[in-house]
Amino acid sequence: MIPRAVLALACLAVAATGLAAPRPGTVGPPGKAAVDTCLDCHRSLDETRLSQPAEQAATDIHRLQGITCAGCHGGDPRAEDPEAAMNPALGFVGAIAPTAVPALCSSCHSDPSFMLRYAPNIPTDQAAQYATSRHGLALAKGDTRVATCTSCHGAHGVLPADDARSPVYPSRIVATCGRCHADAALMRAYGISGNEVADYQQSVHYAALTQKNDLSAPTCNDCHGSHGATPPGVSSVSNVCGTCHLTQRELFDLSPHKEAFASIEQPACETCHGNHAVHTPDDTWIGVGKDQVCGNCHVADDPGGQVAAQLAARLTGANSAIAATRERVARAERAGMLMDEALVQLEEAHQALVLARNQVHAAALAPLARETGSVLAAAAKADRLAQAAEDEIRFRRTGLAVSLVVILLAAVALLLKTRSLER
Amino acid sequence: MGIFKRLWAALDERLGLAPLVEFARHKEVPRHRYSWAYYFGGLTLFFLGVQVVTGILLLLYYRPTAEAAFESVQFIVTRVPFGWLVRSIHSWSANLMILSAFAHMFSVYLLGAYAKPRELTWWSGFALLLLAMGFGFSGYLLPWNELSFFATRIGTDIAGKTPLVGGWLLRFLRGGDDVTGATLTRFFGFHVALLPMITSALLALHLLLIQKQGMHVPEKLAPEAKSRPPIPFVPNFALREATVWLGGLALLAVLAAFFPWELGVKADPFAPAPAGIKPEWYFLFMFETLKLLPPHVLGIEGELVGLALFTFGGLVWFLVPLLDRGSERGKRSPLFLLLGWLVLAYLVSFTALSLAGVFQ
Repeated sequence: MIPRAVLALACLAVAATGLAAPRPGTVGPPGKAAVDTCLDCHRSLDETRLSQPAEQAATDIHRLQGITCAGCHGGDPRAEDPEAAMNPALGFVGAIAPTAVPALCSSCHSDPSFMLRYAPNIPTDQAAQYATSRHGLALAKGDTRVATCTSCHGAHGVLPADDARSPVYPSRIVATCGRCHADAALMRAYGISGNEVADYQQSVHYAALTQKNDLSAPTCNDCHGSHGATPPGVSSVSNVCGTCHLTQRELFDLSPHKEAFASIEQPACETCHGNHAVHTPDDTWIGVGKDQVCGNCHVADDPGGQVAAQLAARLTGANSAIAATRERVARAERAGMLMDEALVQLEEAHQALVLARNQVHAAALAPLARETGSVLAAAAKADRLAQAAEDEIRFRRTGLAVSLVVILLAAVALLLKTRSLER
Repeated sequence: MGIFKRLWAALDERLGLAPLVEFARHKEVPRHRYSWAYYFGGLTLFFLGVQVVTGILLLLYYRPTAEAAFESVQFIVTRVPFGWLVRSIHSWSANLMILSAFAHMFSVYLLGAYAKPRELTWWSGFALLLLAMGFGFSGYLLPWNELSFFATRIGTDIAGKTPLVGGWLLRFLRGGDDVTGATLTRFFGFHVALLPMITSALLALHLLLIQKQGMHVPEKLAPEAKSRPPIPFVPNFALREATVWLGGLALLAVLAAFFPWELGVKADPFAPAPAGIKPEWYFLFMFETLKLLPPHVLGIEGELVGLALFTFGGLVWFLVPLLDRGSERGKRSPLFLLLGWLVLAYLVSFTALSLAGVFQ
């Protein structure tokens, strides 16, 4: 059943679309920057509140696409006389109230035929999504502190979302959401702690986004949605994480944890990995000891605890084998040996270890043991190559020692001969 | 008559070898406090011989194309029996040869051995050092690894700055506008055919002149050399030289066993140049000096000014037998002696500071 508030907002949006559709003369041909008299006057005004929008309009995507100020604010953009330009009879409304913003933006952005002229590949369901979001629902109840379109995209000087300067560009989303969500005092009113942004900034996702410039790394909107922003519920967490972590999700779905977590209303991934502060997983997490995640539900003697202990033992063994072989190979490399083949084997061992770690999500011993077996086999091959290199180094050193003895004897013989000749 | 005596008699009858033996029997090396300086030339020759032998062995497996060069060197050092040893000795010997050649040149300069009538020996030796550096520059690229690729790009870029002929010279060296497989093939040709051919001819002339003119004795050491009995070349000096060569061989063996020459990473022409690219150590003084120069000197590009100065300096060094007019009478100009020490101090200090990373 559709909540009443959603219906109310949807009706408001539909109504506003009709009321606020750009009038003829306020929208120029696509691709050609709009020229209007509003900007000429407002740029010269002393009051920043009035002049700043005109300054910001220089890079605004709407102005650059031929949409004048009157497209949103009404009035006559061609009139030289301020009275005529801001004539209420011509639809001039002045500043837009926050509650009117979604309807105003959607009057164009929800119109597929209108948007086709400007950006045929962007969606036109933002208003419908917004109406279902926590923001939209609260706005429909008259809460004007919640985010509307302009809170995130800006009002004037709006940039395309794929422009790196835009506040909704992936690397800037956190700061944009954080303007409200990092404000603990503001968030308290909504039952939100306000430390979500700080937590996220410690996560592996944030590190990937900011340190590796990996724009595919998830930021706020990738899990919560953009226009339909809402916290994922217990049942949808694995869907959200599984969007990127497909294999882990598939393995989890096959595991006994799937039903067990559902029965105690525990979210899937979040229970072990956390939500915002998702850290790089570590093999030491597995087990029922202190600070180990399995211990949250299991004890050492129950079947789950025993499986966890065996999983941990297999992974520890695989890690140790790789570490010991890597050190041995590095020693041979430092001695000047070419260890490319051994490094390939170590890489294979590492790949198998990654697969073994994945199998932790299935919480079953057999598949993980199969992968750790591959780890040990590849590490053993690398170890044999390192052994061969060490043998070769010994052979070389022995050969060198023999050669030096021969050379030394020859040199001594020559010196003695020279001395006997010159005596 | 034994078989060897009969063989000798047959050869002597046909080739007239007896005078050569007589010459060797009477050849003598002066004995004085700086007699040790006479060994550097022979040591350089020894390292050159090692280069020829190991180079021929490497040729059996090396493939001079961008696609196969790196892999063929990798094959040599991993699969070919003692390939690692041959390759390491070739690389170390190349460096020791140039070091020894520099030592030879500076000992000749500082002892004034360039003076008349040895101008031609000096000039041929100077050219041989340049050829040795050419061997080093062309050989550096042959393994086609990342460092050699970008160092060659920088080196040929510098050559391309030469006024008037720079553009032509750059394309001649590279076989195109950039360092490619064409450059590799070309450098291989220089390294194994062109340079050896010129070097052989010049080396023959150089050795012939030394035999013709005998060892130089500095004017100040003449009384000492007269007061001490000279060293007969055969067999005494030859045996001493052989002992030095054995020392060189032992050094090569130690270096090859403990510090096998690295192979590096295969060159990727599309990858960005890694940080800290440097040429071989014997080009470092020039490389660092050019880097230290300001972008413009008196409105002229800094690198161009640097190249002009190096060319001028090289020319002065080359023409020193003519410029140091008193040297032919045994009265060397103190100015040229000072110049020699200054050049030596400059080369040693810049090379050492660069290797220590001071210029980074």
